[in-house]
Amino acid sequence: MNGSLLDSVNIGNWMLIAPELWVLTMTCVILFVDLYIKEERRGIIHLLGMITLIFAAIITLRGGYLEEGATQAFAFNDTFVRDRMGDVLKAFSYLVLAGVYTYAKFYMRQFSLFRSDFYTLSLEALLGIMLLISANNLVMVYLGLELLALASYALVAFDRGSQRASEAAMKYFVLGSMASGILLYGMSMIYGATGSLDLAEISTAAAAAGSGDIILLFGMVFLVVGIAFKLGVVPFHMWIPDVYHGAPAAVTLFIAAVPKMAAFAMAYRLLQSGLGGLHVDWMQMLAVLAVLSIMAGNLAAIAQTNIKRMLAYSTISHMGFVLLGMLPGTATGFGAAMYYVIVYSLMSAAAFGMVILLSHHGVEAEKLDDFKGLNRRNPWYAAIMAMVMFSMAGVPIFVGFFAKWLVIKAALDAGLMWLALLAVIFSVVGAFYYLRVVKLMYFDEPLAESSIEAPVDFRAAISINGILMIGLGIFSSALISVCMSSFT
Amino acid sequence: MLAEYFPILVFLGVSTMLGVVLLGLGSLLGPRRPSSEKLSPYECGFEAFEDTRSKFDVRYYLVAILFIIFDLEIAYFIPWALALDTLGTFGLFAMVIFVVELVIGFFFVWKKGALEWE
Amino acid sequence: MPIIEITFYLFAAVLVGAAVMVISVRNPVYAALFLVLTFFSAAALWLLLEVEFLAIVLVLVYVGAVMVLFLFVVMMLDINLAPLKEGFIRYLPAAITVAVVMAVELMMVLWVRGKFGSEAFESPVPHPPDYNNTKEVGEWLYTQYMLPFEVAGIILLVAIIAAVALTLRRRPEAKRQDPARQVQVKRDDRIRMVKMKSETKVEE
Repeated sequence: MNGSLLDSVNIGNWMLIAPELWVLTMTCVILFVDLYIKEERRGIIHLLGMITLIFAAIITLRGGYLEEGATQAFAFNDTFVRDRMGDVLKAFSYLVLAGVYTYAKFYMRQFSLFRSDFYTLSLEALLGIMLLISANNLVMVYLGLELLALASYALVAFDRGSQRASEAAMKYFVLGSMASGILLYGMSMIYGATGSLDLAEISTAAAAAGSGDIILLFGMVFLVVGIAFKLGVVPFHMWIPDVYHGAPAAVTLFIAAVPKMAAFAMAYRLLQSGLGGLHVDWMQMLAVLAVLSIMAGNLAAIAQTNIKRMLAYSTISHMGFVLLGMLPGTATGFGAAMYYVIVYSLMSAAAFGMVILLSHHGVEAEKLDDFKGLNRRNPWYAAIMAMVMFSMAGVPIFVGFFAKWLVIKAALDAGLMWLALLAVIFSVVGAFYYLRVVKLMYFDEPLAESSIEAPVDFRAAISINGILMIGLGIFSSALISVCMSSFT
Repeated sequence: MLAEYFPILVFLGVSTMLGVVLLGLGSLLGPRRPSSEKLSPYECGFEAFEDTRSKFDVRYYLVAILFIIFDLEIAYFIPWALALDTLGTFGLFAMVIFVVELVIGFFFVWKKGALEWE
Repeated sequence: MPIIEITFYLFAAVLVGAAVMVISVRNPVYAALFLVLTFFSAAALWLLLEVEFLAIVLVLVYVGAVMVLFLFVVMMLDINLAPLKEGFIRYLPAAITVAVVMAVELMMVLWVRGKFGSEAFESPVPHPPDYNNTKEVGEWLYTQYMLPFEVAGIILLVAIIAAVALTLRRRPEAKRQDPARQVQVKRDDRIRMVKMKSETKVEE
């Protein structure tokens, strides 16, 4: 028949998806544990979530699944792929999610939202991220994306009492479903043109057909739109500010930091592994998207008075830079883009961590004014926030600088002179609003004199996160070489 | 193959025609003498208290969505049952995993008390 | 065979017409019912392609279940539609412009370069009468696409969790029976034997 019966029983398949299986199992365990414990012992749930992430990292990084000389390993009739890029991105997803949990626990306790749903839903979203990163088939890409999206919609609406959150969830849901529909439409066209759902087979067919195949091109346009929506680049960015603003800060933190890595992996798998033969065509589209995002993101961020919205627009511009790295379609370009997306995740986790830290008495510190005079109130936290802002602005020796530099260098190497120039100009423009936060913290009078209190694990996590901004900058070569070697 | 569906098409055509003809005849031939008394809403002799459309409890929604989810699960059973001969033990295994996933969900819903109607 | 083409155009026309009605009728309940008609026509189109399983699932799941949910939601919302319509009229020119531009673009690409019409593809080979589409789906779904199938199960699980997380509200004030506790009740839970001294007659 299909000749695939025996292949699926093969135990090697199940070894390859061990991290996914572990996360799924632990999600179910958490689901059940929560049914049987008392409310005041919810700390166990948090602990279980952390254990899940730690062991997932161990299982993922154990390696040894590759055959001699191979760079990829396939499972389940090639619907699933394990490779170095996937493992690195998954490992960073666990790391950032662990940070998210630490920050979110403090937030949820304060806002009496500490429910296990946050953990189960975000772990399911993580599962979606992992499957998306490892997808090697259009069906798997779509299902991974839907798993991630469905859990994200629910997370945004997680605070049922908040009308703003419900509205944000509704917007996210409607726009997200439309993007999924467009993506699916594109996939169906690509299936029609190539006769396969498998990315490797699509790649062969696309290389053979080239830009002459109008149906393939049409499908590609729709795929790019779907990807652009998930990354949140202009002009498919409308949902980002509203969702970031409306969702509870803990959820914003999650949505801002973790799924971007999956979106990058999705873009890489679809555009490079699948439609690599159409590079010339998608490059033009990505170039427009990248320029628009870098411009619109940075300009709109200046006008914001709400830090969640400001960070949302800054996300849009950062995603523009990620696309800039993907433009050349070279190994170094993708390596740079991957490095950028990982660095971005770490930076945005720290930034939203600070927003959570300053929230008190059930009020989110979402105004820029809440950061006024932070140095007076607590110099260390102000220093962390300053490091994050410097890093986001791309000030040298901070990690964000190296990310920007690599991406722009990759664009220059590909001869995209004017694009690189625009990126530099607008990152200088963008530096304005990052530095404004620093100015508010150091040179303005504080609005409140109250001391900032946080549990010890929160303080440790935010300190490490802040130090990473400069530490990864000084010792940047390690992470860069990990990213670069993922694409050789 | 498609020819076997032809009777259904005929039925569809006949029923549509019938519906159109009956309603059309009724509206053409029936006497209609509207007056303001006839057209005003009537509620036991009082003025209408409220809109006809009243809010449903959100619990209906939960029941409905749980129904859909398990309904979808059934949809997956149909091709499986038909192909089980060729799928053999492996097919059984694939479905067992799927069912376990949903039984977990079912158990969760049950223990959580979402099936209770307080 | 012209009858197939006639049927196709008939159902396609009904589908498009019903879809237009979905967004233009005043009463949301009618809109939901027109959506049922849309789904039904789509199922008929699928039947023409000899994909019976999908056609039946569309009727079973969408028309049968999802639309029930839709009607619940429509009735639950209790919305005043007049303000919504205002926005509709206001944005209509912009929307029509975008739609027309997109449609023209599509037509130009598709017709001018002319590789997209049905004549560019061979029509599918009709299957023999004993061909079973549903069985064929089963033979692929549970072998070649086993992992996606299990992931679909996980998505359903997430849907359950999300639905419970978002809509389940405990009502502590509601009184209810617990049959298990009712059955388990012991005599001692209900009756307390009080030993009392028998009354002695008080001397007057």
